[in-house]
Amino acid sequence: MANAYVIIGGSLTGATAAATLREEGAAGAVTLIGAERELPYERPPLSKAFLRGEVPFDQSLVRPAAFYAAHRIETLSGIRATRIDVSARVVELEDRRRLPFDRLLIATGGRNRRLSIPGSELEGIYTLRTVDDAVRIKAEISPGRRVVVVGMGFIGSEVAASLRQKDLDVVAIEPAKTPLFRVLGEDIGQRVADLHRAHGVRMIFEDTVVAFEGTQRVARVITKRGLHLECDFVVAGIGIEPAVDILAGTDIHVDNGVVVDQYCQTSVAGIYAAGDVANHYHPVFERQIRVEHWHNAIKQGAAAARNMLGRGVPYDEVHWFWSDQYEANLQYAGFHTTWDQFVVRGCLKSGNFVAFYVNDGRIDAAVGLNGAKEVRRAIPLIKARRRLNLSQLQDESIDLRSLHASEHPEG
Amino acid sequence: MATEFVTAIKTNEIPVDGVKAIDVRGTRIAVANVGGTYYAFDDACSHEQCSLTDEGDLTGTTITCTCHGSQFDVRTGKVLAPPATAPVSVYPTRIEGDALQIEV
Repeated sequence: MANAYVIIGGSLTGATAAATLREEGAAGAVTLIGAERELPYERPPLSKAFLRGEVPFDQSLVRPAAFYAAHRIETLSGIRATRIDVSARVVELEDRRRLPFDRLLIATGGRNRRLSIPGSELEGIYTLRTVDDAVRIKAEISPGRRVVVVGMGFIGSEVAASLRQKDLDVVAIEPAKTPLFRVLGEDIGQRVADLHRAHGVRMIFEDTVVAFEGTQRVARVITKRGLHLECDFVVAGIGIEPAVDILAGTDIHVDNGVVVDQYCQTSVAGIYAAGDVANHYHPVFERQIRVEHWHNAIKQGAAAARNMLGRGVPYDEVHWFWSDQYEANLQYAGFHTTWDQFVVRGCLKSGNFVAFYVNDGRIDAAVGLNGAKEVRRAIPLIKARRRLNLSQLQDESIDLRSLHASEHPEG
Repeated sequence: MATEFVTAIKTNEIPVDGVKAIDVRGTRIAVANVGGTYYAFDDACSHEQCSLTDEGDLTGTTITCTCHGSQFDVRTGKVLAPPATAPVSVYPTRIEGDALQIEV
């Protein structure tokens, strides 16, 4: 009998995995379970072009509806999987249906963190992850309205940019010293702050929201340092938590998401995880990594599918993402948490540069502001894990592609 | 609509493994020189209209729009990697003396 494949998560990861299973010759049933009622869609436009009303939702679908039928992929949309019976190899759905599987992929993604402070139950306070969230925020958009954006991570920064582009009055509050501080550090954070300042966002750093006030609807945001910010609505972008509830009561190892090896397999054979929820062993960086990127959703979804078919291919993609804010294109490749050297190629102040997070002479990650080509050319350097001559890295007259073959033993 | 070959650029103006943009009758077209063979295609990426000449990286016959990572086959315009889903238009080319002609 052909294997039955079940995928929990009607997402970019889940849909890519389903398509890859078929492309790679899976013969048995493929079932894709999605809690959202839409067919799988891509989330990047939700904070950008879709939010600004520049593109219709249909353009964000991962595949057109006809694709699934044509490839014998059964999509169960708007229904939640509630439990995995690991020993019986069955997924239970909220309508009590039981789906047997031979190979299972967990692609449940994440759910938005919410503020639980006085007033957080008031109307007009939003977070953004799904198309429903985006539609609700979109309905609040009108020139001159006042919004408070809580958190200047990627979602907060992109939403602030989109809302300024729609002529709203935007105030942003961020506990760190700059936007994107935790991931990219102060130097890059300051450049992103410059960008938002130039576009008229009022930013408040090193302060946090302690309460929302209003009658029924939010009318005011109160900060720890005592600011009272009058507003018409609030968007909070304060991160996600991996959606792992379904794993309760199973032996599947959970630690900052579902722990998987380099083959995307969990601690239970035949059960895999990919996408935002997967805390995966990365053979290039030799550590567990969990990321929340569009590119990883596609690449890891495909890699998991290949491994569900027994291909035994390690997932070793160098992580990469972009963030478009106003006319600026910010990109990042690699993975770093700390760095002993921060090497800039180009001029930070010019707003066009690429910079490298270096440890022990090796590039762990590259970030570029309007430096997309250079970030892409840095990917092989990151993957090679070699010590490089850092002065060459800084020298814009030297093509990054020519550094690939060289090794600098002293770092 | 009838098409015809239009002289667009001198072949020696396009470096090997390089891409140049040219305006041909109001359309911005990119021309790639892949080891002496010339391929012409729309300069605007079908995803978010980044210029493939300015933002693209050419490796063999694959052009990567580095704005968001979409890849196209310059011979056919076909999408090789998302986020683009639609192909870019391609145009026949021919060489007349030292001139590259593009059929538009």
